[in-house]
Amino acid sequence: MNLTEYIQDVKSGRISVVKTISSILNEAKSSPEHFRVITKQYALERAEKIEKTKEGRLAGVPISIKDCICVKNIESSAGSEILQGYRPPFNATVIDKLEKEGAIIIGKTSQDEFGFGSFSVNTKKIPKNPLDLTRSCGGSSGGAAGFTAFTSHPHLAIAESTGGSIANPASFCGVVGLTPTYGLVSRYGLIDYANSLDKIGTMAKTVKDAFLGLNVMAGHDEKDSTSLSQNIDKEKKVKSIAIIKESLDIDKEIKDLILSRFPKADIISLPNIKKYAIPSYYLIALSEASTNLSKYCGIRYGASENLKGSFDEYFTSVRSKYFSDESKRRIILGTFARMSGFRDAFYLKAMKVRTLIISDYQKAFKKYDILISPTMPIIAPKFEEIKKLTPLENYMMDILTVGPNLAGLPHMSLNAGFKDKMPVGIMLTSNYLQENKLQFLGEKIENRS
Amino acid sequence: MKIGLEIHVQLNTKSKVFCNCPTAVNENPNTNICPTCIGLPGAKPVLNQLALEKAVKAALALNCKISPETFFSRKSYFYPDLAKNFQITQYEIPIGTQGKLENIRIKRLHLEEDPGALIHKGSITLIDYNRSGIPLIEIVTEPDFKSPNEARLFLRKLITILEYLDIYERKSEAAMKADANISTTGEKVEIKNITGLKEIERALEYEASRQEEEPAKIQETRGWNPEKGITFLQRTKESESDYGYVFDSDLPLIEITQKQIKEIKKTIPELSLDKVERFKKTYKLENEDAETLASEKLLAELFEKIAEKINPILAARWLRRDLINILNYNKKSLKEIKLDAEHVIELLTLLKENKINDATAKEILIKLIETPFSPKKHVEKEGLEMLSSSEDLEKMCREVIGKNGEVVESYKSGKEEAMNFLVGQVMRLSKGKANPKETQKILKKLI
Repeated sequence: MNLTEYIQDVKSGRISVVKTISSILNEAKSSPEHFRVITKQYALERAEKIEKTKEGRLAGVPISIKDCICVKNIESSAGSEILQGYRPPFNATVIDKLEKEGAIIIGKTSQDEFGFGSFSVNTKKIPKNPLDLTRSCGGSSGGAAGFTAFTSHPHLAIAESTGGSIANPASFCGVVGLTPTYGLVSRYGLIDYANSLDKIGTMAKTVKDAFLGLNVMAGHDEKDSTSLSQNIDKEKKVKSIAIIKESLDIDKEIKDLILSRFPKADIISLPNIKKYAIPSYYLIALSEASTNLSKYCGIRYGASENLKGSFDEYFTSVRSKYFSDESKRRIILGTFARMSGFRDAFYLKAMKVRTLIISDYQKAFKKYDILISPTMPIIAPKFEEIKKLTPLENYMMDILTVGPNLAGLPHMSLNAGFKDKMPVGIMLTSNYLQENKLQFLGEKIENRS
Repeated sequence: MKIGLEIHVQLNTKSKVFCNCPTAVNENPNTNICPTCIGLPGAKPVLNQLALEKAVKAALALNCKISPETFFSRKSYFYPDLAKNFQITQYEIPIGTQGKLENIRIKRLHLEEDPGALIHKGSITLIDYNRSGIPLIEIVTEPDFKSPNEARLFLRKLITILEYLDIYERKSEAAMKADANISTTGEKVEIKNITGLKEIERALEYEASRQEEEPAKIQETRGWNPEKGITFLQRTKESESDYGYVFDSDLPLIEITQKQIKEIKKTIPELSLDKVERFKKTYKLENEDAETLASEKLLAELFEKIAEKINPILAARWLRRDLINILNYNKKSLKEIKLDAEHVIELLTLLKENKINDATAKEILIKLIETPFSPKKHVEKEGLEMLSSSEDLEKMCREVIGKNGEVVESYKSGKEEAMNFLVGQVMRLSKGKANPKETQKILKKLI
């Protein structure tokens, strides 16, 4: 049952919201570590209320929230230990919007700490892929994708992408992952990874469901200065598409699967993106991240220790103890890239490369409405394989997803088929605010499979 | 000797620079705060447009070039008063550059946020974030000062200008802070975080004489201890901190259009330096009188209203000397009192027409500072009019001569000062109403 049908049934009284919510809460509890926090009491109380009012565009829809999105009075720690136990005193704007339309929060989904990772293993609660528990859900929105695939109920996952954290796990779990234009959805209340890259989006079983969620969240917010004043363009007709040439230098089976979906599509070359997107992305993202993480120093909130020594000694002890190795690695890399002497060569250069990449996309969009690529170069890896990867090999996993993320372009991953019984995702990228075109083509792909 | 200043001034906006919290002084710590100004995860800054306008106004008044596009950056350093452990400030492109105030070149002017305040209580340090996020402008001069005193005079002028622009209020000494760099014969030494005008001059004077004895061999940063009146070494160039600036991408690029600049320019009033020149030319005032009157916007406005009706020289003398003395004595400012220009005009008219003497006028002015009233009616009601050439005055003179035979004799023997005493006695007898000139005339005639 898709969300639209479910909401109709809720409104007509054919379906009990309370029963649906109790049942999905049990599923959440039994899911393989997809949740960091399950908000049972909160969800049941909301369910009873919505059962009576039956109001809103998302009346009675169970939603899971990626841990990095603040929900008032509910632990929101972005998958980290340094924020363990932190209950924000305010809601993210998207939470207010979703709840106003009758959505019901069932919990906070597990993720890589602060979004730092491609497999959701950089955290204490590691979500397992429901299709094969020895494999990763992908990351960093691993719990969101995992549970979307796992649940038998109508459900919408609210996730977040910085460099591919929605598309990647969507691909590994075989669900739809929709990342909108940067600025379309307010970031107010999103625990920052990299402010110029972070985007809140949705995951669902169908394209239509993913868009239902996005349309509720989209729109200008005066609390986020980077939030756009325009909304999604009405035009949805897709006239021309092209497959990105460089994205096909991967596993042959995945390549053939994607090509078989669009045998007649043009092939377009975007060489700068393959060459420079990863270094540029990591330099910018980590430079920003290293400043965002400075605030975690054990003083006002989150983990703390006995007050001892000078301020420098104190915050160093808290940060040493509670940040994971990956966070420390990213803080060191990001700080290095912006220090004087290196800033010009790394951080500022990366910013320039970013504009180069954006102009490459703009050239392509003059001719094509949608660019197509595989989402990930591999299928969901086994945990034992992940352990063998070096940090650099880890970062290279994002090679296909960082491009649109760096450019702030809307993109959507959906299932294109299977390899070794594991899902293979196809990624559609459109120009700014052309999300309707993604929906149009996405639904076509869905109907064909 | 070369001195340069980095001056931090709090802007007088009602709300903070990146959130809606009030900037008003609040005795209760951590009450004027919100998720943004205490740096909670997920909170975002939103620029207060008024703060931006005030910063542009300051930059224009200091003859700066205004950057058509500007943006904010994060200056990273760990310090407990800094909520996010980075400060939102401007780095590459400040709002204003290449300005000038008289002979001092202004290198740059930018907008940033104030950190919170640390309160030290014995071995414990508490943090109050009420101040966190109050808008500051940082004004950086070239090293154009040749003495500590010159730096202080500049700061006075600067403060007057900022007050004229209605962007700064002298709420407390802490509303203005400065870092100063000074080099005499050796390397450049920076003194960090000095609060208040006088302290800046003191710190520079101390540092100048210290460097005379031991010229700095390497660049260093020093702190200022106002209690002990000394500077102390904080760090040398080798360990200079690196702020690792990145763009603050939560805040989009700011465009300052020619149209906006025009609008803001319209709101800039005639500034004190221009006023001094005009006062000298139009009202024929002495330089010192003109400078004092122009040093405060309200005082200058009061003066010009009065000077329409009263001889400007007389008005200037009464405002600059008597009014300021009375205000200083009562520890009040012109802003706090309700002094009506019309009442001062009445008062000075009475004086000019010889209806009251200086002493009476001064008494009335003291009362006018407390509460407004008509001096004319007051003089009539209280019978304060001056006694001149009347029979009463002569009677009083006779009485004084009769009682002070010895003084009269010493006057006769050539002691001119004795006359002052006699006049004073008549004044006392008349309860201050006697016309001193007339009294002297009568006394001389009688003796």
